[in-house]
Amino acid sequence: MEEKAKKPLTAYSGNYRELFYTYDSDGKYDREVRLHDDSDKLFINQTWEVFDERIEEARRKVHAGKASPIVFYMEKDLLDPLSLSMQVGMSLLRVKRHLKPRIFRRLSEEILKRYADAFNISVEQLKNVD
Amino acid sequence: MEQNKIMIDYTHRQAGHCESGTTSNLFKHYGLDLSEPMAFGIGNGLYFSYIPFLKVQYAPMMSFRNIPNTVFRRATRRLGAEATVIRKFKTQKESMDALDRNLEKGIPTGMQVGVFHLTFFPPEYRMQYNMHNMVAYGRDGNLYHISDTVLEQPQTITYEDLQRVRWAKGPFSPNGKMYWITSVDKNVDLRKAVAEGIAKTVYEMIKIPFPLIGTKGIRVLAKDVRKWPAKLGNEKASFYLGQILRMAEEVGTGGAGFRFIYGAFLKEAGERFNSPDLLETADMMGKTANKWREFSYIGARNCKNRSEPVEDYGMLGDMLVEISNMEEAIYKKLEKAKF
Repeated sequence: MEEKAKKPLTAYSGNYRELFYTYDSDGKYDREVRLHDDSDKLFINQTWEVFDERIEEARRKVHAGKASPIVFYMEKDLLDPLSLSMQVGMSLLRVKRHLKPRIFRRLSEEILKRYADAFNISVEQLKNVD
Repeated sequence: MEQNKIMIDYTHRQAGHCESGTTSNLFKHYGLDLSEPMAFGIGNGLYFSYIPFLKVQYAPMMSFRNIPNTVFRRATRRLGAEATVIRKFKTQKESMDALDRNLEKGIPTGMQVGVFHLTFFPPEYRMQYNMHNMVAYGRDGNLYHISDTVLEQPQTITYEDLQRVRWAKGPFSPNGKMYWITSVDKNVDLRKAVAEGIAKTVYEMIKIPFPLIGTKGIRVLAKDVRKWPAKLGNEKASFYLGQILRMAEEVGTGGAGFRFIYGAFLKEAGERFNSPDLLETADMMGKTANKWREFSYIGARNCKNRSEPVEDYGMLGDMLVEISNMEEAIYKKLEKAKF
């Protein structure tokens, strides 16, 4: 579990071949199993770059005391406040409050546990962002 | 738990799209040779919607496919197959017990799952996406045998991990949903099923009186794409564009947002029923799919360097309008197609 939580997001590994359908100039449909081409890799890579930047930004904010650790794990799991509120079963407003460090420090163990479960980590991990 | 070892003689075949691939494989298991494109076409896989005010992973929501379980439900209904869908379970344990009972009876069982915690899924496709489909066809102690049509080979997953993905939370959460076929009608009237499938897709693509769905939705998207750089700045415009391209080309679309699969369906149906009308629309759809590919290809250049667009967004918008017109012509033709 711990290993999984710490695994960094990776850019395109390119190891997985997918099935694509094709249509050629003779009007023939075909199927081929191949990797994504270089053009596709441009936007797949960009997506992960943007997500990685957001996660690093969140990490900095947490360390600077400007955001609660929930922000970091939320970004790490590619969630936004709305989808996080659905994951933990709390209202959006309540979740948004919990993103403030001042409020986070006062949260009960029970609430922390709900977040930890949603992120698939322990409460200890939730409190400490490395 | 007792040592249960079950292995159903189920053939894993890789497919373009998870749900139509799963549906096709299940039909084949029961002896009806239904190809993936046929399942996709009859079950109304094709769709387009663009919902700019809803954000998914920080970008406007859009979809090239219908809502989950549409393909399986409509394909089984139109093909006269008996199928069971359990939408919701009270407890997680109950959903796993029901799966075990099915496996013991030798029934390969489809499930809706979330992909974020799906252990064997390629890391680059990890996203908060709850509409994935896969089939369980065996169990060995704590391990389940899984056929996931996105991947080349069959996979295994532990009891705990499987339970987790079947109960993934968030939008479109699966709630343990599972489905299976009990019997198929091998002498089914395919012509009728195909006609019903096409009529419904025509309706959904050009007749729904709502501007964000179908070919009209593509036009709204085109209008927005033109405005993105001025409204959001180059970085965000590039990211938004990248997200559209991901939806169109990434995992489980068969390329070009399912347009190739649908064209292959029209082609297969046209050949089977000897219909020049359908064959002509198949060619039109193939050309449209290639146009989508071209759009992805050109658009991707703007994702290389986020702050400096290489291609003009106005031109990309024009391409989308052209695509929308091409698609509209196809559905109008399909509406009157004879076969």
